[in-house]
Parts: sequence; structure tokens; C-alpha cells
Amino acid sequence: MMSDGETYRVRMTGISKRYGPIQTLDDVSLNLKPGDVLGLVGDNGAGKSTLSKVLSGAVIPDSGTIEIDGKAVSFSSPADARAARVEMVYQDLSLCDTVDVAGNLFLGREPRRHVLGVPFLDNRRMHDQTREMLDRLGIVIADTRLKVENLSGGQRQSIAIGRAASFDPSVLIMDEPTAALAVAEVEAVLELIRAVSARGVSVILITHRLQDLFLVCDRIQVMYEGRNVAERNIGDTSIEEVVNLIVGRKFTARSARASRDEGIQP
Amino acid sequence: MNVTSAGVGASPPKRVHNSTWKDVAIANGSAVSIALFFIVVCVVFSLVTGSFLTTPNLLNIVRQSAPLLIVAAAMTFVITTGGIDLSVGSVLALTATLSAVLLQAGLPWPLVVLAMLALGAAIGALQGFFIAYERIPAFIVTLAGLSVIRGVALLITGGYSIPVEPTSFFVNIGRAWFLGVPVPALLALVVLIVAYLAFNQTPFGRYVTGIGANTEAVRRAGVDTRFMTLFVYVLSGMAAAVAGIILAARLGSGSSNSGQGFELDVIAAVVLGGTSLFGGRGTIIGTVLGALTVAVIGNGLILAHMSPFLTPIVTGTIILVAIWLNFRLFKGATRSR
Repeated sequence: MMSDGETYRVRMTGISKRYGPIQTLDDVSLNLKPGDVLGLVGDNGAGKSTLSKVLSGAVIPDSGTIEIDGKAVSFSSPADARAARVEMVYQDLSLCDTVDVAGNLFLGREPRRHVLGVPFLDNRRMHDQTREMLDRLGIVIADTRLKVENLSGGQRQSIAIGRAASFDPSVLIMDEPTAALAVAEVEAVLELIRAVSARGVSVILITHRLQDLFLVCDRIQVMYEGRNVAERNIGDTSIEEVVNLIVGRKFTARSARASRDEGIQP
Repeated sequence: MNVTSAGVGASPPKRVHNSTWKDVAIANGSAVSIALFFIVVCVVFSLVTGSFLTTPNLLNIVRQSAPLLIVAAAMTFVITTGGIDLSVGSVLALTATLSAVLLQAGLPWPLVVLAMLALGAAIGALQGFFIAYERIPAFIVTLAGLSVIRGVALLITGGYSIPVEPTSFFVNIGRAWFLGVPVPALLALVVLIVAYLAFNQTPFGRYVTGIGANTEAVRRAGVDTRFMTLFVYVLSGMAAAVAGIILAARLGSGSSNSGQGFELDVIAAVVLGGTSLFGGRGTIIGTVLGALTVAVIGNGLILAHMSPFLTPIVTGTIILVAIWLNFRLFKGATRSR
């Protein structure tokens, strides 16, 4: 663990959540400092997504406490988490297919202009700002009036990421952000994570691409069947160890061995 | 923070072309195809009958179709969220009879109008509560509403129609003319303009579309989706109340049997206009054209001295053909997923 001098950006303790007979989260903790990049890994069903949704307000835990910057918070809806500047990129992207690019980026916080006290969408400001945001993130989309259903999988994912990263978050949660992306696009996302964490944004990265973790993370937290099983600083561990922790036993994974063999062979 | 130069979408040779009128037509395929249908129907009736394309007849059409236009505008919101409101015909009957009853009891007409609007809103809120907060499918809640509310109207009147005093100012709502246009048509115009602005230019309209496309995404964006869903039923209840008031004022009586099958005409108009029953896609312009098409067919067949019983047959056929054309002709506007 890291030293305990300063306050944590996020401190989740004793989080439990049960769906019917399944204990999805069992007394899970998670700590995150400003600018930290935490890799959250585990098998399918280990509880990674549920834990991150608890932090984003989309799931309400049965028990446990959350502190943000030392203050106890209780999120009863995603709106509460957004107000505390916790943003999340959901695995299913959470886009509205029949709404245009700008509408999706600004969903829930559309710029408004009031006419006789009635809020109207400020479409021009919304489209101008969308164009700026996309350019800043290097996302190439010709027309911000395109409906999201007309975009490719990579573009859709870029919008979901851009939406979470663009509104000055203090905690950014990314659930499988690189799943639908091509090689160059994955590099772009990893670069984005480095850039925002350098600005002091705390990042939680959930991914099955273990090699990515070693490129951007400071720490890795491993979950297994709804519990924390291990936490490692990135310098003290290897892909092989992480794989073993994820599957819960000694396991000589081919994927892990391949990289080691490469190292050995001339 | 120039993250990538590789880019995510288009490559240097231009892959996105400036949209031509053809692309615009395809993107708005549903509205275009119903507009074509509307024009064809109008041209046919103009040629077949001499009296169709006359100012009195056209004003008569908009006067008679005002209730349909008003409720269809509200129903566009409901259907765009992925819901449905089958109770509008019954709410129309209840408000038509109750307004006649209250006027007979001596209540001043503005109070009657306000009471009916509040009643429509309350009925919509109750149904919306079961739909949005208790997660009962809208079809079932409003089917129950259709039955119960019609039953209440029948119970109040015993099945008789209640007359409205012809000297009451109330009847002007349905009969008066203002600047050469029937008042019901003006009311419909105001409702349609407000609906168009709300649907296309306000955050509320945006969330209605979003809820139909992906409710969870809108909820995660911090929007109170349950209240928004409840609210669209409040709108349809109030619109049905307005329609009931106009009908009672125009006919000079409130009948508990009025508006039988009205909900089907409304849904037909909305769907004909290109709003998707699956939610997420709606258009107020299309709804206006759809409602006018339904109205023109009914009017034109009568003027052409055809059996009025042909109206449902023709209307039904046109709905099927128009939507089939949408599926076939204008397919390719979106990526299939």
C-alpha cells in the first residue's frame, strides 16, 4: 500500500451488494489517490462492473461507505455521482442511438438558453463545443449532427469516452474502454488515460487486456467472486502473477507464458 | 492533448459527402413518404370531387380533426418514449360528459375547463405512476384505464348524452370562428406549435427521444427518467381532456359513447407519420401529416359519395402500405445493427 499522509480521492469500504441468492460484492474496499491509475481486474462475474457502478451511482449498495476527498457521500442516483464529478464510461457505452453526436456528448447537461423562463436547447453552442471537444480528443467525426446509430463501433466508443473525459471529472471510471477499438485507437485511449491522470484525475480502468494495465496503471486490484483478493503495485508484479490471481489458482496461462518466452528466446 | 493522429473515423479521401436533397429525403424518409401520400390523397379527391378543394371544406376538415391533431401531438411523445396510451378515447368521453354535467350544475365555464384539464392530468399522472414507477407495461395500464374510465363516464350519464346549453359561452370553444378560422383549428395549431418546439428544441424533448432509445443511458446521464415518463402520460391525459372539451362544445352535448375507437385513430395518425412504436424515433411534423391524411380520407370518401364504411378499410390499407414503403424504399438510412 501507499503512504497514508494525504486524503484519498476515493475511499470505498465494506461495500456489499446482493442480487437474489448471489452475493455480487462481499465487503469490498477500494482506495484511490488523486492522479492514481488503478487497474481493476478479475474474471467475468467477479464484481468489477458492479463495484464501479456503485461508485458511479448506477447501483446502490446494500452496505458500505464511500468517501470522496475525505467527505462521506451517499449516491442514490447517477446524478449525485455526476455532481461529485465522478464520471464513468460504461461497458455498453450508454449511448442513445437515435440522438445525434452532440446530443449524446451533452446528454443530461445540455447548454440551455431561457426564453420567457422556458429552457430551450442551445443547439449552436452545443454543436460548437462538441466540435471543439472532438478535436481536442482527436476523435474524427465529420458531422456532429450525425445520429450515433450511423457511426462505427470505434467512433461510438470514442464518444462514450469523450463524454466522460470532457467535463472536468475528478474520478474517471472506464469499464472495458478498449473492447471495440483497433490498435491505434487503443493507443489513443491509453494516452488519454496518461494525460488525464497527469492532470490529477484519478482513473479506474477495468480491462481484460492485461498488457494495457502494465502500460498505464500505478496499481492493480484483483477481485475474485465478489471479494478483494490482492492488490499490487505495478512494479512488484508480472502478467503471470496477475493471471494466477485472477483465476484463483496456479495457472500457467499461455498468454502469460508467451511474453516470457519471447524474452528468453534470442 | 493531441491524443491521436491516426483518427478514429474517416480517412483523408472524403468519406462523408455533403448531403444532397436525396440524402435528406432518405434521412427523413418517414416524413417524406407520408407527405407524398398526403399529396396523392388530396390530388385524387380534388380530381374526383369538385367540392373537396374548396375553402369551406378544408376549414371543415381542420375543424373536425382538431381533437385528433391535439391528442396525436401528445401521443407522439408517449410513443417516442416506447410507451402507448390506449385510454385517450375514454378520457375524451369522460371529460366531454363531465363538462356537460358540470355546466348543467351551474359551474362557470372557465372553471369547468380548468377542472377538466386537471382531471386529464390527474388520470395521466395515475397511469404514469403505474407505468414509470411500478414498471407495469403501458399497454396493460392504459388498457385497464380505457375500460375503467369509459365505465365511469357511462355510470355518470347512465348511457344518455347530456346537453350543453346552446347559449353558454362554452360552445364557442367548439363552434366559434376567429379571423376566418374555426377556433378548434386555432387551438390545435397552438398545441402543435408548442409540441413541435418542446419535442425538437427543449431538453425535455431530447430526453423523451433518449428514453425511447436507451432509458438506462438517460438515467445514467443523471436525468430523472421516471418522472419524465410519468409526465408524457400527464400530457396525453391533458390533451385528451382538451379534445373532450372541444368535442362537447362543438356537438353541444357530452356523450359517454363519444370517442369510441378514437385511440386507434390517434395511434394510426402517429405511426403513419413515421414515429416508431418501438420508441426513440418521433416526428411532430409527420404526426400532423398522418392525422390530416386520416382526416382527409374520411372527408373525401364522403364527398365522393362512397360508402362511409370504406373509410376504415382505406385507412388501414394506407397505414400498412405507407409503413411498408418506409421499410422498403427508405431503408438504408441507418446502419442495421
